[in-house]
Amino acid sequence: MQATSQVPLRVAQLSKRYRLRAGGFIDAVSDISFDVAAGECFGLLGPNGAGKSSSIHCISGFYPASAGRVFINGHDVYAHPKRARRELGVCSQEETLDSDFSVFDQLVRHATYFRIPIPTARARATTLLERFGLSDKAAEPVESLSGGLRRRLQVARALISEPRVLVLDEPTTGLDPDARRMLWEVLAEARAGGTAILLSTHYMDEAERICDRVAILAKGRILDIDSPQRLIARHIARAIVEEELRPGVIWKRPPNLEDVYLKLTGSRLGVEGL
Amino acid sequence: MKLPDWLWGVWCVWLRYFAVFVKSLPYYVVTTFLEPLLYLVSFGLGVGSLVGNVHTQGTELTYRSFIFSGVIAQTVLFQGFYEGAFGAFVRMYYQRIFQAIAITPITLTEVLWGELLWDASKATVAAQVVALIGVLTGDFPANALVTLLPVTFLSSLLFSALGLAAAAYSRSIDQLSYPQYLLVFPMFLFCGVFYPIDALPAAFQAIAWFFPLTAVNSLVRTLTLGLPFQIHSIAILLVWLVVLVTVAQRAMFRRLVR
Repeated sequence: MQATSQVPLRVAQLSKRYRLRAGGFIDAVSDISFDVAAGECFGLLGPNGAGKSSSIHCISGFYPASAGRVFINGHDVYAHPKRARRELGVCSQEETLDSDFSVFDQLVRHATYFRIPIPTARARATTLLERFGLSDKAAEPVESLSGGLRRRLQVARALISEPRVLVLDEPTTGLDPDARRMLWEVLAEARAGGTAILLSTHYMDEAERICDRVAILAKGRILDIDSPQRLIARHIARAIVEEELRPGVIWKRPPNLEDVYLKLTGSRLGVEGL
Repeated sequence: MKLPDWLWGVWCVWLRYFAVFVKSLPYYVVTTFLEPLLYLVSFGLGVGSLVGNVHTQGTELTYRSFIFSGVIAQTVLFQGFYEGAFGAFVRMYYQRIFQAIAITPITLTEVLWGELLWDASKATVAAQVVALIGVLTGDFPANALVTLLPVTFLSSLLFSALGLAAAAYSRSIDQLSYPQYLLVFPMFLFCGVFYPIDALPAAFQAIAWFFPLTAVNSLVRTLTLGLPFQIHSIAILLVWLVVLVTVAQRAMFRRLVR
């Protein structure tokens, strides 16, 4: 597969195999391929252990792939990691905020890793803190922030380099509904500016709402890729599904992405008529 | 002048540590400089007044001079190892700073070099402060401050690498006690900080020379006190340096990258 400068993120036949301590191997990611276009939000959905985080570690170039290639804005992330990562912002699932710096200073510090001049970094940090509702916390240490505020700060930090490709691993975990919606608005603004977004999430409503396309992963393989609407039409035959909320209480509703996810990953969890 | 990308990456990481150091200067001044000063006062003035002179390698020295030079080696050992082991473990395991920086244009190799060079820089400055005190008290010649610098820096790098390797192999911060008690303290006690190793039985001397602190002590005493130059000290220092830096980098890669 060729790298094309028109595609901000291209994942080509990516595989990741881990060696087990007890001997043998496990294939965490098997031969996955997809592109994410400028201004597109692409979702990676899957249960725990499906290979989402392994895929993201490989896409960011932190883990070497066992096979396949990843291109960020045409740069091979393994052959030219510096060039590729200059175009990449990553918010990992684990908290990696730098607790030695205040909220504002750590955005500026992170910008220096991208060779962004300090005055530019300070201006961007001010704008991002305002956008994420963290301006009043600018001088505070990270430890003083709640879990939700830290998550917001970590997403803000991923945006400090104004990346062409933004990779977010479970970005809304721990956020309250207000903060979630605010993050969706920020992502919509980034998309409008042409940023390609790769999002891994457990929240089906979130994926259905903000992703143009999603890939459903199970056991390291992509089971299907398409827009949420087309996936629903393709995999759920009925116009109405029935879900048993609790014994004796049946909810009739239109099918959604969660139904597709449950059907493709082999879980039914009480949903009838899939 | 624009630095090459790889060098800029290392420099950027070093600057991050320096910025943290400056922010917490009083804390670092106490933790970096107080310990060697206490050793100097306790052993140099206290024990030194009891012991009198020391005879080693055909030279007679005051015990104070002898111990002052030993404290330089002890400082690079403790400062290098503790920053490389405990400092790096906290940054790698609890703060996840290595992981956060290594997904930017700065690579993990550059992060680890930045870490090692910062740890070594801090230990070098602490050791040079001890040397400066030795110069001010008249125990060392003034030019020792310059001639010592390559030795204090390379040995600081060596012990920082030992610490970083320990951090990479430790599953929890408690496990750092193993190298601390099995390597660092034995070196501190048996590699010539407090007494010339020629006072030990021959078999113990051979064992002591296997450990790098003996070579560091030998080189430091040559440069500060004019003791005969033992050329094998340089070979031992350089071999350990290459081995430990390589082991530390590989172990940390294995720890962080799957």
